[in-house]
Amino acid sequence: MEVHGFNEDMARMFELTTRRAEAISRAPAALDSTDPINGLVRRLHAAEIRLVLKVVTEETSTTRTYRFEPAPRSSGLPLFRAGQYLSLKVSVNGVKITRPYSLSAAPFEARSFYELTIRRKDGGFLTEYIWKNWREGIVVEASGPHGTFYHDPLRDSGTVVALAGGSGITPFRSMIREIAAGQSGVNMILIYGSRCADDIIFKNELDLLAAQAPQKIRVIHVLSEPDNEWQGRTGFIDAALIREETGSVNGKSFFICGPPVMYTFCTDQLSSLAVPPRLIRRELAGSVDDISADPGFPAAVKGKQFTIRVRYRGKSMILPAAATETVLTALEKGSLEPESQCRSGECGFCRALVLSGEVFFRPEGDGRRAADRKCGFFHPCSSYPLTDLELLIP
Amino acid sequence: MGNNNTPLTDSDVYDAIVVGAGLGGLSAALKLANEGARVLLLEQHNLPGGFATSFVRGRFEFEVSLHELSDVGPPDKKGAVRRFLEDEVKVDASFLPVPEAYHLIFPGEGINIKIPFGVDNFINTIAEAVPGSREPLTRYMTVCQEVARALSFIGSAKGPPDMGVLMEKYPSFITTAGYTVEEVTKTFNLPSKALQMIYPYWCYLGVPVSRISFTIFAVMLYSYISKGAYIPQYTSHGLTTAMDRRIRELGSETRYNTRVEKILVENGRTIGVETHRGERFKTPFVIANLSPHLVYGTLIHPHSAVPEAAKKTTNARKLGTSAFVVYLGLDRPPEALNIESYGYFIGPGMDTEKAYTNFFNLDPQEMQAVICLNKANPDCSPPGTTILSSTTLLGPEVWNNVTAENYVQTKNRIAKGIVEQMSRYLNTPLAEHIEEIEIATPQTFARYTGAFKGVMYGYEQDPWDSVVARSVAESAEKYIKGLEFAGGFASMGHGYAPSMISGRAAAASVLHKLRQLHAAQAQPEKRRDE
Repeated sequence: MEVHGFNEDMARMFELTTRRAEAISRAPAALDSTDPINGLVRRLHAAEIRLVLKVVTEETSTTRTYRFEPAPRSSGLPLFRAGQYLSLKVSVNGVKITRPYSLSAAPFEARSFYELTIRRKDGGFLTEYIWKNWREGIVVEASGPHGTFYHDPLRDSGTVVALAGGSGITPFRSMIREIAAGQSGVNMILIYGSRCADDIIFKNELDLLAAQAPQKIRVIHVLSEPDNEWQGRTGFIDAALIREETGSVNGKSFFICGPPVMYTFCTDQLSSLAVPPRLIRRELAGSVDDISADPGFPAAVKGKQFTIRVRYRGKSMILPAAATETVLTALEKGSLEPESQCRSGECGFCRALVLSGEVFFRPEGDGRRAADRKCGFFHPCSSYPLTDLELLIP
Repeated sequence: MGNNNTPLTDSDVYDAIVVGAGLGGLSAALKLANEGARVLLLEQHNLPGGFATSFVRGRFEFEVSLHELSDVGPPDKKGAVRRFLEDEVKVDASFLPVPEAYHLIFPGEGINIKIPFGVDNFINTIAEAVPGSREPLTRYMTVCQEVARALSFIGSAKGPPDMGVLMEKYPSFITTAGYTVEEVTKTFNLPSKALQMIYPYWCYLGVPVSRISFTIFAVMLYSYISKGAYIPQYTSHGLTTAMDRRIRELGSETRYNTRVEKILVENGRTIGVETHRGERFKTPFVIANLSPHLVYGTLIHPHSAVPEAAKKTTNARKLGTSAFVVYLGLDRPPEALNIESYGYFIGPGMDTEKAYTNFFNLDPQEMQAVICLNKANPDCSPPGTTILSSTTLLGPEVWNNVTAENYVQTKNRIAKGIVEQMSRYLNTPLAEHIEEIEIATPQTFARYTGAFKGVMYGYEQDPWDSVVARSVAESAEKYIKGLEFAGGFASMGHGYAPSMISGRAAAASVLHKLRQLHAAQAQPEKRRDE
């Protein structure tokens, strides 16, 4: 074809070169590399932050809240969404490990501080270390805030029924402080299960916030092992209790955070109330205390030790691994310092390839992409060795 | 492992280092490894793919950026992408066909039409809907075909193409190369309603028809319509994971969570790279799956090694758009949501000028590209559910003034408008069925890919910076010896197929020079140019 006649068309084509040369000669010689988009990314999603511990508060006999400010010479604390977590990076007796903890203060408080509320576990590798070593002034490393357990106004109802168990209160404490400060349009009914009255974390604070804003916040405590003085609700957070406390479940969103057994139990209870799955959100499953108690776990491997041969960043190593410890734990004990965040099989940050051998994981801990399932990738943070393994961490 | 203080060992020396495991970098590494070169691919993220990836929320796995892949073609009529992946480098990729080119819903223009693949079907459908368009559209598609064929002739030629052959066999390529889409198209006198049905793919270029090079548009339109479009069966993550696996099988390595901070240059040529951990790797050739803005602006070390001409060339070019994407996992099947097609373009009409102007404000864009993954891949989500996404384009600077404090509110406000608009155009109550929602902004894309300003669409292809002008200028604009570009910012432009083809081309160029280098080393009396 011809556009404006052959001669002009040819001229136009040859002009491309001169027009390009002109554009280049007109352009400034100094290249401006400022990038506000990536600048905001570094503020919102810092890969690594350094925190200095400022205040330790005893919440219960086994629970403490640690208040952190940015460490000297580091930039401000990244903002986050109520319900998100930090992945702590701590060196415990020479072993560098990560652990996810929900941020328990409100997002607006990140202008000055973060809080993490941690319950000590008997024999807990990290929590015993924390109780012994964390004093005001120490510096802690962590990832920036992560996670998807937050209220999304486009998806979730404006009325959230929060079902909390034990230390699973922490993300909801962040949400409630945000609501109480008028920073969120959400109304929350918190149904909080604890073992006994002394175990209730933030009891006074939660009751006070509810009393100050009864139209926005309701708090119902439920004890499974109450003493004789307890006047409140008892038992478990079951369908009957949920129905009584919420009036009607219709049009409400349900957020669950607590020990692993609570997710299955409460999800079943909500199904029996005909709550559609889309209105049920669950926090990360978290690591499992005793995987050998899982009904799917093959009893035959319990107590066995295996060998992991792993390639990582151009190096090869051979490491011991216990059948009842995650592959990630074995890698950490081998001082590999592998990347990880959620320790629940969800985020995929620790993604690795099984070259030979087999691993076990619970269906809840399988957050893999379809192609990764097909190609032999797995998430070491939620997987346990069933045989000797040969791995590649790409 | 080498670092600043220890001498390099042989294991740290590579024939070529590829920076960035986007589609360009993966393709380059594949081609190099396939031809026996020792190559190291370095990627800052923990996954391959760059923009070509997926993510999981609840029981849904979402495609991040792909709508439809061009130049794959059916198995019996393979396009360049399928030939490269399946035949040349033997990647186990499996593709699913996209059922139709696009479904247009422009209520203000009275347009609600499904446009099919296949040149004859395409012409027939538009001709039936718009009287008087058959004859000019038939001529138009013939011209597009000629341009597309010319470009593959140029691509397959070793060295500069034979102008005589071009002139004789593909004259329309030459006569249109200097013009914009609008300048060429208006000479066909197509009815304006027909133009609205022909222009929609401009969304994949992101520059209005008054400025976009006719060449790239013609190639894209013809490639899609004649060969159809495809998606990878296991999402783009499946494709890029298969590419990564093949690189490993071929004896080379990809290292993730490894950000290259310096491309080391000495005496005007690349000698190696340095990572954020301080590791140094030595190589005569670096293929950058990155923008020249990043390479010349921050990566070349020392910075004094960047010639002024490189900076001026980079400054002369205009960064393409980024995107805003809303991903929905819905708890009803497509048929219960009134979703009948895979790909929709919805909006007030195909006014590309107006749509482009709107890329530069922070309101919900009126022009949306909506994809229902289930319509090409029914198994992509659990039975009874739907994956739906809406993409709108944004100018590269528009989100500059969004702050950490108002970031979430801003994206939620825009996403809300987009979901409402999608519900209205598709006549379906989406908000009542959202089980999962995720929103990607320019910041999100920047976070995972490291792309300069979160740009997705490389550089804008005005005629003077079109694939034609870039190819002509390519050898003159090699400012640093040993450095090649691949991916969306390279001369082929952005998109899956161009990124892969550019990666392959960069690798071919490096292989050619490697052979010269090896030959020169074998015969030391010969002069060493490279």
